[in-house]
Amino acid sequence: MKKNLILLKVYLLAGAFTFSGGMAMLPVIERELCEKRSLIDKESLYEYAALSQTFPGVIALTNACFVGKKINGASGMFFAGAGAVLPAYVLMSAATLLYQMLPQEGPMLSALVAIRATSASFLFAAAYTIARYNLKAKANIIIALICFIFTLLNFVGAPVLIVLSALVGVLIYSGKDKK
Amino acid sequence: MILQIFSTFLKIGFLGFGGGYAMLSLIFEEASKFGMTVSQFADLNALDVLIPGPIAINSATYVGQVYGGFLGALASTFAVSIPSLVFVPAFMQYEEKINNNAYLKAALTSVKAASVGLIFAVAISIMLSTAFDMANLFDWQNAHFDFLSLAILIAAFILHIRCNISPIGLTLLAGAIGWLCYFI
Repeated sequence: MKKNLILLKVYLLAGAFTFSGGMAMLPVIERELCEKRSLIDKESLYEYAALSQTFPGVIALTNACFVGKKINGASGMFFAGAGAVLPAYVLMSAATLLYQMLPQEGPMLSALVAIRATSASFLFAAAYTIARYNLKAKANIIIALICFIFTLLNFVGAPVLIVLSALVGVLIYSGKDKK
Repeated sequence: MILQIFSTFLKIGFLGFGGGYAMLSLIFEEASKFGMTVSQFADLNALDVLIPGPIAINSATYVGQVYGGFLGALASTFAVSIPSLVFVPAFMQYEEKINNNAYLKAALTSVKAASVGLIFAVAISIMLSTAFDMANLFDWQNAHFDFLSLAILIAAFILHIRCNISPIGLTLLAGAIGWLCYFI
């Protein structure tokens, strides 16, 4: 039980104070769980972090579930998971309520319009960063281009494109494998 | 409605490979079925930046809250969390079989590539909406150029990528500039 409470507390703290995505939580988790309490070794923590990225779903939560399960079984998984999700859930609910009360006119609208423009910048930046590390093979560049054009022209939905891309990846690999 | 929100985010969770930004393109598409506009989606992105936590959780909570109130937010956040609760125990059971599966890796590499295209398309949609006031790519009749938005968009991109300035700072700065420009 003590381990569960530690997991809950550490993930609550990490979740409440790390901005822009879940991976930013890792250094805090490392300090609290590996260094201070030595409940898990650093190697496992980062192995799980890399592994979490290969599963669908919320990466930070998957990572928390792995660490929780490793340290204290199924109950550890739920406590760590709850800790990873709750701060974002509570803070975002409150923020959304406040946001809905904002007047959409006058100087506030002017500020919102400017803020909306930055949201496009961060999406461009995210696409650019992922592209820089993942678009090396010709086939991947073609997949990215096709997904881009089809989404922009509204031909095919994103879920279909994701499933098809996964299939194409497997097909290309099995083609290479036979050679 | 709550059930619809739940099933939508369950789908988003299970198809959401590659983290928050990759999931945003799915959320953009699925939430537009509930009636979410491009501006509302752009505001969601801004809140993602300002509020701590995983982007996918933040986004699910926002969409659930806007379209289903308190229960909606609970349903969407829980639904998007389910894949983790399913895959982690399953993986630990069959660790060796799944680990280092080359097919899985090949599939993931192309899904990552797909996500680049998907995110880029969403970014273009927001750019068209904010800087040109166009509902989509073919909406040229209503196009209305907004110089300030385009300037902020480009400046924020460069400052973020080149100078590594944090998105929180840039978002707040852009808000302040927008606020001041109203009075000029």
